[in-house]
Amino acid sequence: QLEQELVEYFRTQVRQDPEVPSAVAAIRTLLEFLKRDQTGETILGLRENLTQTIRRLEEADSSVAVSSGGELFLRFISLTSLEHPDLSQCKKVMVERGELFLKKISLSRSKVAKLCHTFIKDGAKILTHSSSRVVLKVLESAAADKKRFTVYVTESQPDSAGQMADKLQNLNIPVTVVLDAAVGYIMEKVDLVIVGAEGVVESGGIINKIGTYQLAVCSKAHNKPFYVVAESFKFVRLYPLNQQDVPERFKYKADTLKAVEDLAEEHPMIDYTPPSLITLLFTDLGVLTPSAVSDELIKLYL
Amino acid sequence: MGQLVNSDNRMPGADKEADLTERIEAFLADLKRGGCGTGPIRGSGETARETTALLRKVTAQARWSSAGDLMEIIRKEGRRMTAAQPSETTVGNMVLRVLKIIREEYARSRGSSEETDQQESLHKLLTSGGLSEENFRQHFVHLKANVIEAINELLTELDGTTDNIAMQALEHIHSNEVIMTVGRSRTVEAFLKDAARKRKFHVIVAECAPFCQGHEMATNLSKASIETTVIADAAIFAVMSRVNKVIIGTQTVLANGGLRAVNGTHTVALAARHHSTPLIVCAPMFKLSPQFPNEEDTFHKFVSPHEVLPFTEGEILSKVNVHCPVFDYVPPELITLFISNIGGNAPSYIYRLMSELYHPEDHDL
Repeated sequence: QLEQELVEYFRTQVRQDPEVPSAVAAIRTLLEFLKRDQTGETILGLRENLTQTIRRLEEADSSVAVSSGGELFLRFISLTSLEHPDLSQCKKVMVERGELFLKKISLSRSKVAKLCHTFIKDGAKILTHSSSRVVLKVLESAAADKKRFTVYVTESQPDSAGQMADKLQNLNIPVTVVLDAAVGYIMEKVDLVIVGAEGVVESGGIINKIGTYQLAVCSKAHNKPFYVVAESFKFVRLYPLNQQDVPERFKYKADTLKAVEDLAEEHPMIDYTPPSLITLLFTDLGVLTPSAVSDELIKLYL
Repeated sequence: MGQLVNSDNRMPGADKEADLTERIEAFLADLKRGGCGTGPIRGSGETARETTALLRKVTAQARWSSAGDLMEIIRKEGRRMTAAQPSETTVGNMVLRVLKIIREEYARSRGSSEETDQQESLHKLLTSGGLSEENFRQHFVHLKANVIEAINELLTELDGTTDNIAMQALEHIHSNEVIMTVGRSRTVEAFLKDAARKRKFHVIVAECAPFCQGHEMATNLSKASIETTVIADAAIFAVMSRVNKVIIGTQTVLANGGLRAVNGTHTVALAARHHSTPLIVCAPMFKLSPQFPNEEDTFHKFVSPHEVLPFTEGEILSKVNVHCPVFDYVPPELITLFISNIGGNAPSYIYRLMSELYHPEDHDL
């Protein structure tokens, strides 16, 4: 019924525009749900239906971004409903503000790129991990600023993100693909490391494609700056203390979670990088030190 | 200086404005001259005070009808002043403080609640109903008086900074301790002198070649009857094992908690880290700058290398490259504590202090 339609809507969004962040697609889907939902009579009922829908979306795409986008939307509903206790009035305001919110966050990637590209100097050698659209945007702006630099991209198994190398070649940036195992070998040559993030946790650490933690430890050992670029809607209310603390539903792809019985046999797709290894985070809220992230989250959720 | 020229040609008015223009030109000339290695002609505290006083005069005398106009004028003057001597960041910092004051006074006049929700935040993204562009165009009668009063408060704060920092000395310095410092810092001098009134301790001053400002520091300290030893920079690591604390001043505190300090400070910081000696930085709030250490071309300042290798060594000169940098970058991991006029803070807290002092939209003048 409605939930099926919405999951389809979400999938079409992602298919049609591969550039759209999954959190934005999730929020757009939830907004669509708001517009179409006729059954809700109370705000509590609305929240319950939304939570259900978010759960279905997470089953379709288990990335952290969808979860953080969903939580943000729920928070958005709570905040708006505090101001307008009447449901129909509330819905109208929500839809309006939702559209506005979507418009603002579609600009986040460019804001991040604008902040970050000044940190890339002429002649720099950059190491990045897997395929991240935000990092691509940053490198694009740096190239547009007439800076000359070379990029090393890790192969990033198990789903080799070779597309990053192709896209960079199209921008005329010299790029080399290195093995995941060669990160320690190449680290002495690079000047800085820039990675994206699927989620930014409360401690200021990040959750990203498996192999990021390794990269961070190596760069710390070689004293190279480790920069993270992420939009603000990726901030999530988790506080993992180690790799085991990251919830299982994020670690594996959605199909794996449904199909496989014993997850111990599966390879996790993401890992957690603690804040002590991160130099700076570039977000659309500004350039943050890892200790500033929890401040931002508190401002939202308190 | 178009706005400041009075077209009516009333004598006292024209006199005042000519006086203001003169003062600004003299200030800029002083800033430009202060580019030699021994440091600016006056300490950074005086530079901050002079900048704020000048900005107050500009506010009082320039013609403006709304906060937006005033901010434009201040920004223009600020750009001129920072262009005269980019390494003297206190000038830029004071301009940013004044801009923040104007924004606050404007918000207060408008009656909007004093919530410091000026920064971008997730909360703001979610709840704001419309792309509200604050254009500061409304006119308020008392805005001028309020802004000038707030700037006066800022000046009073600036006057008291060194004393406020020195007052905290007794909490950090204990009897019979060995303290190390580098070069010459007026703040650290006051800090140590204040502690010396009640405690007996020993100070080791690294001379900080090639300008050897450490010598002057040592003389001043010994005049206050503090036992002082001067050492060469090469001896810093050797002596560090006997040192209990390292207390230094700095030229600028950067937005990530790092320092831009006199060259030689990074050496001291690394030696202190190796021996697990706490590194305390005494820096007043006006030295806090929203810059990050990424712009290499504007970060460093080089002066005449004749202090390193004098021109008399003509034969060697043609065969070698000689550099004389003035500043060092010290990363925030090496610093234990910042002591400022508002108390002690950890380097990881600097981002919070910055958001209270400056508005993010002003970061690029």
